[in-house]
Amino acid sequence: MERSKQKQLKPSESDASASNDTSLNGHFGQTVKVQNMSGVSKGSTGEVSTQPSSVMESWREERTRSIEDNEMSLPSIAAAYTTILRGLGEDPQRQGLIKTPWRAATAMQFFTKGYQEKIIDVLNDAIFDEDHDEMVIVKDIDMFSMCEHHLVPIFGRVHIGYLPNKRVLGLSKLARIVEIYSRRLQVQERLTKQIAVAITEALQPAGVGVVVEATHMCMVMRGVQKMNSKTVTSTMLGVFREDPKTRDEFLTLIRS
Amino acid sequence: MEYQKVSDMNGLCNGKIVTEFNCRNGFSELSIETKKAAVQRKNETSRKEAEDESRLPALEAAYTTILQGLGEDTDRQGLLRTPLRAAKAMQFLTKGYHETIYDVLNDAIFDEDHDELVIVKDIDVFSLCEHHLVPFFGKVHIGYLPSKKVVGLSKLARIVEIYSRRLQVQERLTKQIAMAISEALQPAGVAVVIEAAHMCMVMRGVQKMNSRTVTSAMLGVFREDPKTREEFLALTKSA
Repeated sequence: MERSKQKQLKPSESDASASNDTSLNGHFGQTVKVQNMSGVSKGSTGEVSTQPSSVMESWREERTRSIEDNEMSLPSIAAAYTTILRGLGEDPQRQGLIKTPWRAATAMQFFTKGYQEKIIDVLNDAIFDEDHDEMVIVKDIDMFSMCEHHLVPIFGRVHIGYLPNKRVLGLSKLARIVEIYSRRLQVQERLTKQIAVAITEALQPAGVGVVVEATHMCMVMRGVQKMNSKTVTSTMLGVFREDPKTRDEFLTLIRS
Repeated sequence: MEYQKVSDMNGLCNGKIVTEFNCRNGFSELSIETKKAAVQRKNETSRKEAEDESRLPALEAAYTTILQGLGEDTDRQGLLRTPLRAAKAMQFLTKGYHETIYDVLNDAIFDEDHDELVIVKDIDVFSLCEHHLVPFFGKVHIGYLPSKKVVGLSKLARIVEIYSRRLQVQERLTKQIAMAISEALQPAGVAVVIEAAHMCMVMRGVQKMNSRTVTSAMLGVFREDPKTREEFLALTKSA
């Protein structure tokens, strides 16, 4: 039933759904209570406002772009890149640059492919009942994102830990969750929070800890130009926030 | 005359290797030209800055189109001034087009009776892949064998900056740096090695995180004499 509702969403203005998702991308941190999000984002399409507003449903409404959307917007993005090349003083007709607008447009769509994917698809029902109540950590997940302020890459590593509460998640799904949220125009603080909240909503664990350590090209290649600087952000939810010993264990294990 | 050669090279360097190396009229008149050109140069620079400013609106509009094409909401708080910031960032990352070797060397060429290898290594380099407009970055090691003339050390790094802050291909970048030093100093030999990580390979496409591309350009005695080349490579190998 959810599938048919999603199909009804697609032909409607992609702008409307774009603003839904980007209010998510911009305000996710504040709206862990889903009722708020549904109210903010679903002004336009009537059928969506009748969606159940339980916590589990919130991240099912995230899809904005489809493959068709990508194909349709490719020419305008490529034309924009041609303008940029000319504006920088380069000659777009020289051999090395002839197909660059198309390659750059496709690359940029790849770097923001997180907008095309939904958590529900990616989890693939890989949630299992397991009587395990010790910490599970997946660390050193390589992450690549785009700075939303300068459109320049951010890259680094993500360390995720969670304390299951009778349900565990397939390990690669943690990395896939990272991919969905990092392949967007991001701010590192928001990325960290979105990953933590997504895991919380999927599993309802006793606690989640996410640490992101990244290098921002906008600081390294331009501006202050500090080559070796790294930015570290973390989100601790549930028992990781309340119990310092759990947090300590997590932080020690990701350091080793 | 020097300006044209430098800016032509970005597209056509591959075809011009041998002739450029032998052509020495660029810098032998440097000291005379310098005095005459001082005033002219100031005007040149300020015109380039004004040019940059005048092109900004078009770049901004292009970036707004891109953001909208990607499905983003350009009115949300985080993206409000992103087109302007991205346009300025892109202009900064391609500022090498405005600069010439002339400006940057600043007469820092000295007569010194030194005929041993001079190496400046681990120069951080950041450039943009001309095929995907995505950064690549790494380290440059430069070595040269002076022939009566040495150059200020930071000028080697500045030459790297001029050529790297452009839309580049790593092979061409290496060659341009080597050629510029040859033309400026007429040394007995020049060697340039670049080791870089290409985000177009790491962030997309094949997605090989740890891959590095190494290119080198050996001119003059570094090309002919294997022992000199070996000495340079041994000295630039990181411990």
